[in-house]
Amino acid sequence: MAKRSLLAAIADEDSITGLLLAGVGQVSNEPGKETNFLTVVPGKTTVEQIEEAFEKFTSERDDIAILLINQHLADLIRYKVDNYTKAFPAILEIPSKDHPYDPEKDSILKKVRRLFGE
Amino acid sequence: MEGLFFNVNNGYLEGVVRGYKSGLLRSPQYVNLTQCETLDDLKLQLSSTDYGNFLASYSGPLSTSVIQQNLSKKLYQQFQYLKAHSSGTLTKFLDYISYGYMIDNVSLMITGTLHERDRNEILAKCHPLGMFDTLPTLSIATDIESLYNTVLIDTPLAAFFKNCLTPDDLDDLNIEIIRNKLYKNYLEAFIQFVSEEFGGPDREIMLRLLNFEADKRVINITLNTLGNPDFSSEDKLSLFPSYGKLYPTYHHELSQIEEIEQLRAIVGTVEEYSEIFSENGDSGKNLEDWFYLLEMKYCKNAFTQQFTLSTVWAWLRSKEQEIRNVTWIAECIAQNQKNRIESYICV
Amino acid sequence: MSGAGNREQVFPTRMTLGVMKGKLKGAQQGHSLLKRKSEALTKRFRDITQRIDESKRKMGRVMQTAAFSLAEVQYATGDNIGYQVQELVQKARFQVKAKQENVSGVYLPTFDSHVNEEINDFKLTGLGRGGQQVQKAKTVYTKAVETLVELASLQTAFIILDEVIKVTNRRVNAIEHVIIPRTENTIGYINSELDELDREEFYRLKKVQEKKQEAAAEADAEELQKKLAQAQQELQDGDAAAAKVLDAQAETVEETVEEPAQKEPKSALDQDDESGDVLQENEDDVIF
Repeated sequence: MAKRSLLAAIADEDSITGLLLAGVGQVSNEPGKETNFLTVVPGKTTVEQIEEAFEKFTSERDDIAILLINQHLADLIRYKVDNYTKAFPAILEIPSKDHPYDPEKDSILKKVRRLFGE
Repeated sequence: MEGLFFNVNNGYLEGVVRGYKSGLLRSPQYVNLTQCETLDDLKLQLSSTDYGNFLASYSGPLSTSVIQQNLSKKLYQQFQYLKAHSSGTLTKFLDYISYGYMIDNVSLMITGTLHERDRNEILAKCHPLGMFDTLPTLSIATDIESLYNTVLIDTPLAAFFKNCLTPDDLDDLNIEIIRNKLYKNYLEAFIQFVSEEFGGPDREIMLRLLNFEADKRVINITLNTLGNPDFSSEDKLSLFPSYGKLYPTYHHELSQIEEIEQLRAIVGTVEEYSEIFSENGDSGKNLEDWFYLLEMKYCKNAFTQQFTLSTVWAWLRSKEQEIRNVTWIAECIAQNQKNRIESYICV
Repeated sequence: MSGAGNREQVFPTRMTLGVMKGKLKGAQQGHSLLKRKSEALTKRFRDITQRIDESKRKMGRVMQTAAFSLAEVQYATGDNIGYQVQELVQKARFQVKAKQENVSGVYLPTFDSHVNEEINDFKLTGLGRGGQQVQKAKTVYTKAVETLVELASLQTAFIILDEVIKVTNRRVNAIEHVIIPRTENTIGYINSELDELDREEFYRLKKVQEKKQEAAAEADAEELQKKLAQAQQELQDGDAAAAKVLDAQAETVEETVEEPAQKEPKSALDQDDESGDVLQENEDDVIF
């Protein structure tokens, strides 16, 4: 767990740009760990690619502590996100510029609501 | 005297440009735009302007980037039209204008090549005004030597590369420096071209605009390299275009300052720029806004002269500013930040 | 008893009884401890949930501000710096460190953002123009990501706590509804078995006593019979002998007949005393 020190991101171009400006990006030559972010271009990036990246960031890589994913992209692979129960890496759904945050869709908040019977 | 034969070659285009210019959005239209609640409203408002139904063919959810792309497309079309109908000095002038964008594209290309990106992907991101035929082939070069010898020698940019060939290997830091060096060379060449080819009020206006451009870069570079230890004052000096109101008196001083206060003092001595820093800070207007404001003022002045080619430059800049404005307004609407929506700069 | 059939398979001995009693005590103590733990965790859990809810909403705002600062960059530079930024990325400047926090024996990880100021991949981005905005956007986004990291630690704590609370509650319920009743049942069973044994024992003793008395009474009667017969014999024998002896003889017979009659009630009394003692003993046992 001590190794987990990076943030990963699956997001649209603007969000990625911002996150990278904040300095979360890491590029290396190690196989399987080339980049820790996936830029999703509407119309170009397929759902399969998003799924693949999600799998890679959550299961294969052991140096990622938090995975940031745009909410509207999480919606595309909602079943995967909802079924994800591990504590590491933590998955965080973030809003994107064009898609304001909707607390109703967040899988963690959904759990919260279920627990309190709301 | 120069007005006598102006119309023979350039009369038509000047007319076209002035027509374009009158199509620029005016403040009542901006007010209307800021009143919009959604991007669809914005689209509706824009359709009654010169942009017409620029978004008519676009279906699907509107986003600011889509709006920006389509607005820019209109600009490119107009520019291409001008270029296709130009002749003589004007063609050269338009070429010079597009060199600036080419520099951006070339550095983008080099960056992409370094990271082994897909060529088409990068090409899609290049600025349409700076496209040239050999641009795609840039991706074969791996170091700056071969880049220059094999590819750039054939491009219009070759002249600008002369002074910035270093044996250093290409890396990301260098690319940004190369880009700025190129830009410096380009500006200097542009100014030279203007002072040789243009005459009368035309030269006066263009020199003023270009000198301003040079100063803008100098101030920006100074400001952005503050507190950056990797940058020696020689490095900075090598990036400053040797024109502008600040040249040559202040360049040396500027390259050595370490505090923003010093920059403020030096820049404040030039009358036109004395305001730049005076209100900087609390009023929400920043440096960039001031530059844009000042530039627009110059551009407005440029339109007051007839029989000049500088109107083309002024129009292009105004149009770019307009696109930025609309994008800004769209951004504000999309993100619900109405309190900042007023900070556009009316052309 | 509800689950009369639900008990452990043990031999109902006093030793097992002792063991079971110890077990019950342990279970009860464990139950109260676990219950308290679960309550402490739940309290923390609710606290965290509240905070998650709040910070998720806050995140919406923070990210919006951040996105807006990016719009400012775009306004200032005139073109999209996204591509440039993506290409410039080298090493993560912003990293997190996982730390552990102990809540009622549960280790909750918290992430600490850690910004390495030495790494700056975007020093020169926007050198020519818009550099100010780029730096500003950088600061804003760094702050936004810090908020995100905070939220992520809350969320991880949420998931772990959720799991731990479930486990604890399962244990509490298991103890409360399975182990304690079962132990109680076993103790009840052992007690009832032991009582049964005692009653059997008591009955057995009583029966033995009865048999003994019967036997004694029989023996006495036989002896008397014998004596009577003997006397009769002698009477018959000495019919002709001495008539004067008869008187004296008759007196002694009378005495011997009287003697056992007196003796009998006395021994019965003794026996009563004895059985009373046995009962006493039995009662002692039960109380213990």
